[in-house]
Amino acid sequence: MTTTHPTATAPARPGPAPTPGTLPLPAGTARAVTTAGAVLTLAATFLPWTWTRAFPGNLTVTGYPGGLQVLTLTGALLVLLFLASGHGVRGLRWLTPGGTTAPLVLLTAGTFATTWYAAGAISVTLGGVVNLEPGAWIATAGSLLALAGALGLPADTPAGTDGPSGTGAPAIQRLRHSLQAPAPRPARALPDWAEILLIAGAFAVVLYVFTYGIATEYGELFVGFLLLTGCAAPALAKAGLIRRVSRLTARHRNVSIAAAFVAAAAFPFLQSDNQFTSIAANILIFATVALGLNVVVGLAGLLDLGYVAFLGVGAYTAALVSGSPYSSVGLKFPFWAAVLTGALASLIFGVLIGAPTLRLRGDYLAIVTLGFGEIFRIGMQNLDGISGPAVTNGSTGIPQIPDLEILGFNFGETHSFLGFDFTRSANYFWLMLFFTVIVVSVFRRSDSSRIGRAWVAIREDETAARAMGINAFRFKLIAFALGATLAGLAGTVQAHAVSSIDPEQYKFVEAVPPNSAFLLAAVILGGMGTVGGPLIGAALLFLIPAKLQFIGEYQLLLFGVALVLLMRFRPEGLVADRRKQLEFHETGQLDVPDAKALAPVDGNGNGTTGGPDGPNDPGTTGPGKAEG
Amino acid sequence: MTTHTTTPAATGTGEGGTVLEATGVTMRFGGLTAVKSVDLTVNSGEIVGLIGPNGAGKTTFFNCLTGLYVPTEGRVAYRGTVLPSRSHLVTQAGIARTFQNIRLFPNMTVLENVLVGRHTRTREGLLAALLRGPRFKKAEAESEARAMELLEFTGLAGKRDHLARNLPYGEQRKLEIARALASDPGLLLLDEPTAGMNPQETLATQELVFAVRDQGIAVLVIEHDMRFIFNLCDRVAVLVQGEKLLEGTPEVVQRDERVIAAYLGTPPEEVAAASRPGGAEDGPGAADGAPATTAERPTGTPDPGARNDTGGHGPAGTEGGEKA
Amino acid sequence: MHDLPQQLANGLILGAMYGLIAIGYTMVYGIVQLINFAHGEIFMIGGFGALTAWLLLPSGTSIALALPLMLLLGMACSVLVGMGAERFAYRPLRGGPRLAPLITAIGLSIALQQAIWAFYPDAKKARPFPQFGGDPIDLGAFSIQRGELFLITAAPLCMIVLALFVSKSRTGRAMQATSQDPDTAKLMGINTDRIIVTAFAIGAAFAAIAAIAHGLKYGQVDFKMGFIAGLKAFTAAVLGGIGNIYGAMIGGLVLGFTEAMATAYIEYIPGMELFGGGAWKDVWAFVLLILVLLLRPQGLLGERVTDRA
Repeated sequence: MTTTHPTATAPARPGPAPTPGTLPLPAGTARAVTTAGAVLTLAATFLPWTWTRAFPGNLTVTGYPGGLQVLTLTGALLVLLFLASGHGVRGLRWLTPGGTTAPLVLLTAGTFATTWYAAGAISVTLGGVVNLEPGAWIATAGSLLALAGALGLPADTPAGTDGPSGTGAPAIQRLRHSLQAPAPRPARALPDWAEILLIAGAFAVVLYVFTYGIATEYGELFVGFLLLTGCAAPALAKAGLIRRVSRLTARHRNVSIAAAFVAAAAFPFLQSDNQFTSIAANILIFATVALGLNVVVGLAGLLDLGYVAFLGVGAYTAALVSGSPYSSVGLKFPFWAAVLTGALASLIFGVLIGAPTLRLRGDYLAIVTLGFGEIFRIGMQNLDGISGPAVTNGSTGIPQIPDLEILGFNFGETHSFLGFDFTRSANYFWLMLFFTVIVVSVFRRSDSSRIGRAWVAIREDETAARAMGINAFRFKLIAFALGATLAGLAGTVQAHAVSSIDPEQYKFVEAVPPNSAFLLAAVILGGMGTVGGPLIGAALLFLIPAKLQFIGEYQLLLFGVALVLLMRFRPEGLVADRRKQLEFHETGQLDVPDAKALAPVDGNGNGTTGGPDGPNDPGTTGPGKAEG
Repeated sequence: MTTHTTTPAATGTGEGGTVLEATGVTMRFGGLTAVKSVDLTVNSGEIVGLIGPNGAGKTTFFNCLTGLYVPTEGRVAYRGTVLPSRSHLVTQAGIARTFQNIRLFPNMTVLENVLVGRHTRTREGLLAALLRGPRFKKAEAESEARAMELLEFTGLAGKRDHLARNLPYGEQRKLEIARALASDPGLLLLDEPTAGMNPQETLATQELVFAVRDQGIAVLVIEHDMRFIFNLCDRVAVLVQGEKLLEGTPEVVQRDERVIAAYLGTPPEEVAAASRPGGAEDGPGAADGAPATTAERPTGTPDPGARNDTGGHGPAGTEGGEKA
Repeated sequence: MHDLPQQLANGLILGAMYGLIAIGYTMVYGIVQLINFAHGEIFMIGGFGALTAWLLLPSGTSIALALPLMLLLGMACSVLVGMGAERFAYRPLRGGPRLAPLITAIGLSIALQQAIWAFYPDAKKARPFPQFGGDPIDLGAFSIQRGELFLITAAPLCMIVLALFVSKSRTGRAMQATSQDPDTAKLMGINTDRIIVTAFAIGAAFAAIAAIAHGLKYGQVDFKMGFIAGLKAFTAAVLGGIGNIYGAMIGGLVLGFTEAMATAYIEYIPGMELFGGGAWKDVWAFVLLILVLLLRPQGLLGERVTDRA
């Protein structure tokens, strides 16, 4: 049972008789129905969906899709492309080196969800289904038809790999089975320049999608965007495209990292609206701090619930020496000195908190850091000259932190370059990007070294780690202090970027990120111990509250519930750890799922042969895939 | 100077030099004395076995040796220096161990597991990892070379990139030994290395332990499988109710009636009566003859000791102490 | 220093409240080694349950008459939430990765707090809690607020009942057995699931009593009162030796005492003039926690907790 099964990875098409899909349709009929549905949906996007422009995005024009219609159009197009590819149309087969049915099921589901959501939103916003024009009816019917057809397609993998999945099996079992996809066929060798071109193309697509998401102007469009990408990303993974790209990036690591960096740096060029650059800069601050936390939580397994306090220590230190007229310290340090001071201050607090606590069971650290986060806030509030010494202006905080000036370059001013105007936000975006790169390299380099292995070993089994000669306390303290230092580093930039700080910005939980609970959630949602995870997690956690104003006061409630559900159903997050990726080895090694392991290996819980090919942006592909 | 040479520290201490010397080791938990004044020496190039019925305090004694427990009394010296009661310092000094219930790092690869074993023999810190200078790269390369050497040695080289938890049981045991060897120990402590193995796997483990010994590493092994112990060891110590009952060559121990009595749970006075019929077929007492005969026989038939112990492997056993 | 007896009394009353909440942490921890972060919220929900009972009664009901009903409903709410959390949030994660239950606990804590904030009428700010009227009772050296009488009676009573329960009842003894060795306890035929739920329920009931005491003492309940109270109670549990129910009460008393003393007298220490008063009391409680972890991590009555083997 432990020997490898090379046949398991072979493409499914020439394999044994395929298993029927969820719905009992002949394969040909199913394909025809899917095609018809997709074509219908596609055509419907060119018709008006409603009569009034009161619904955002202008869905009233014939022949010119707008807003949500564009998303449906994209979904339907992708469905048709993948259908053609699955049917073996020349020139398109590269689209589906892995599964063909699983991506189609996911894509039609995404299109269906987006379209129905759009129709629902129109009806609700405008008061009733009477506001739907025929276009909307056709689109909803078409997307339903496409979904039904896709569900009737035969599954990619032969029956029996994950329990009963033949005709007699319950529908849910057959659905799960049809979401399974084999590993991609080995790619044809391409010349280096072509591979690099492909990498560049992949990053460009990711950058475009991300930019589109940030720039969505109203909540409905953002929901549609989330629905479609939420289905399309796993679809691409099932089709084997993501695995292929990640193999390419692994082969050309330096090129990929550079491409990711360039893609991220190019973001301000694509923005006409300063507002989005500002959002992106804030996401970067959030993501960088989350990455720092990931060293502590993801690598060393230490639960730090007061992480934002270390950000606060850095920010307050930098603000005090920034030369702000409200600072009680009448000093103005150059930026590098302020960064070092802030990082050092955080480091000292990290050691003070960590040293007594890290000798004990891990749970103690969690609650002590939680306490520290709260105490930091109270302390900053009390150091106002009334309750305590006058240092921080209490709840007023330190406003008017001057903009940075490095080598004569003032970050507060708009600079023109190559005919583009770069605003304050863009300047801070790039500065923050620089720090993100620093934190990412710290993370990656420490991860794959003696010290990183020691951290993971301690996380896995502390007793065994000690028996291997690891001084657990010392290495935990190093991880904790390193995490604190990185947060302090980010804090020094944050103070300047937001130009005014006060104790309320550094709470345990609050509607606005970054706060300790959101930081932790970003790491967990994205995937502990990965580079891409916290970046994606931070982006989502920042954008969802910002874009979906209507959840308003229930936001934190939903956040809490989501955290509980996440731990219950997908504790490894969206991006699985590099080590978990190995569960599916290239040799097609069949793994024995371990009940104690984090969870089923991929998003749909179909573990055995599917492998971790959910929306797994492997940590090895560099920082850019998330933000660029 | 960053990595040690691959040959373990056996050089310098000639044949017969003392590697481990435990004197008067006593461990009390509250009112319970788990280990009472046990003396044990292991000489270089020797394989010493530690046997005893379940609950005799073998694992507790092991934990005292490896610094997991601080012994209430007594001292443990390695090559003449008293060992500190800190697990990681013991490994640093040159004693490596495996665990009764396998304790690998399940979500690390096979290679990474062994690399963790190299920890004490390398010294690259955070700064080196971040700067990645030539010395760091050299040290990493050397660690990896040594780790691969050990994986070859244990026959796991082909699985270097598999996750440890996906290995079959027998290979997990081997990996644990490879990981322990990676710290270049002068003494290897094995805690029930063949528990749960079939006869073939047991035989393979035996070969592996001999190979380890041939590299100049002394071995101290706890085991329930009597045949395994008697085939393997140069010397066997018997622990009963926390005290060392006797110590000697396998022949001597096999013949001793107190051992059989201890395993059968009979008071020593009744030994004479109890041992004759029971020992005729398959008890340790049966091996009155030369060890050569025992070696030829497969280890399939369980002896009373093994039967006693595997049956009683509850959470209340000696391993209860290993819980936090 | 003439008000020392008064400060002492204040500290002990505050401490008894921390102790009651701490019992919930300590019992659960003793059995499943889980820090139930949501316990502070369970405490808060007990307060709101009791308030609901009061609001349901016709206005003008005497508080003394209403108290039993408030107790009942408050405890019912807390126990229900506590048991529900155990059953649906923590139990599925038992035996899984170490961080998962802790993170779940945080999520749960946020969700419960926000649920009250969003759905309880007028709970966006503190809601007034019924009060015993009348002047403080003057006992010569110090005086006691009438509202505090409830706690002074309830806390010792609770401790006695709990001590009897743990030492005399079958369930109580099973609980001790489970906390010492869950696997063996299971083998001995103890239904550990039931024991764990019982621990959650008792902890929640005590938290509800503490919440009513809190409401009577301060005259209000607040959706965020569970956070700091939970932190303090955890400190109390660690102080007394986590896992030890008597330790929790003693730890609570020590903590309350320390807080009262620090609030009243720290400003008289040279160099600390600016750190006195109520604004810093949470900081001193935290400093105490750090000191305890540094000097006596096993707490006053606890066994060693360092994770050696």
